[in-house]
Amino acid sequence: MSPAAFPMSLGGLICVLVPRVDKDRSGVISDTELQQALSNGTWTPFNPVTVRSVISMFDRENKGGVNFSEFGGVWKYVTDWQNIFRNYDRDNSGFIDKNELKQALTGFGYRLSDQFYNTLIEKFDRQRKGQVAFDDFVQCCIVLQRLTDVFRRYDTDQDGWIQVSYEQYLSMVFNIV
Amino acid sequence: MAFPGYGAAPGGVAAMQQDPLYGYFSAVAGQDGQISAEELQSCLTHSGISGTYKPFSMETCRLMVSMLDRDHSNSMGFPEFKELWQVLSGWKTTFMSYDGDRSGTVEGHELQHAFNAMGFNLSPQAMNIIMKRHSFGGRVGFDDFVGCCTKLRALTDQFRRRDQQQTGTALFQYDDFIQVTMSI
Repeated sequence: MSPAAFPMSLGGLICVLVPRVDKDRSGVISDTELQQALSNGTWTPFNPVTVRSVISMFDRENKGGVNFSEFGGVWKYVTDWQNIFRNYDRDNSGFIDKNELKQALTGFGYRLSDQFYNTLIEKFDRQRKGQVAFDDFVQCCIVLQRLTDVFRRYDTDQDGWIQVSYEQYLSMVFNIV
Repeated sequence: MAFPGYGAAPGGVAAMQQDPLYGYFSAVAGQDGQISAEELQSCLTHSGISGTYKPFSMETCRLMVSMLDRDHSNSMGFPEFKELWQVLSGWKTTFMSYDGDRSGTVEGHELQHAFNAMGFNLSPQAMNIIMKRHSFGGRVGFDDFVGCCTKLRALTDQFRRRDQQQTGTALFQYDDFIQVTMSI
């Protein structure tokens, strides 16, 4: 995707942003450089696992970072998630609490039990506040999406059921959860 | 440690308080007799169960709480802690038997033997997938080994519950699949 393919405003923004983010001028934005460019609304560094997830989504050449044109995709992805986060952070606390998380995930189409939301927060809340910050919220959604994608690959008749062997089950989920 | 001046009911409670493990547990447990993943980390570090190996990471401790969390409270009571201790001791013995040079790491192919010895029969393909996540340079450290065993045990338990006839295959409905796998 060439810079010219971006809408004017986004293209202009990228031109300004990339040199600032690509601190060592290598032409590739690494995990560390992206982590430093992102904020989770607290003074703690952005979740490195989330950074890795996002970079791997856009790094088409397995080089461990993103180039100028891939970075455009990264920035749009992060901005889209910021808008979603702000939309569901109804009390504008900068965190998504259990109820707000329920509304968000139900809005995305997931059908999850009330008790499960406690588990989700326990699993993803790195700030240990009982609520999720932006970076942890994104990581949670990414993992849910990955599990859904792998499930759908096996659900060939798309009826919401799969039958898998023990080996298949382990291979499907071990590296996602 | 509990204040020694309390009266104790006969039987179970006194027996528990004489258990050496109870000392480690009660040092971090709150009034509710439960410990969180952070408290477990503190507890296990102080107990020295890791020996000369590095203490357990937060993520591994979270996995351990989750593995035994039958009431979905995201915390661990003393009976579960005792169970965990036994399991950990077994895993540590297995790990040490493969860590001949006491480097604190074992090699990938040794890991496969270790899992077989523990009753997990995994194909080379499944092992590759596991190694990608838990190894550095083809070697696995003790904390990663325990994290891995914990996940394997938890996932295997979930699978078995859905394969009551022990056919080797299990049925998963989507919502159930999401919740079960995310609960690990």
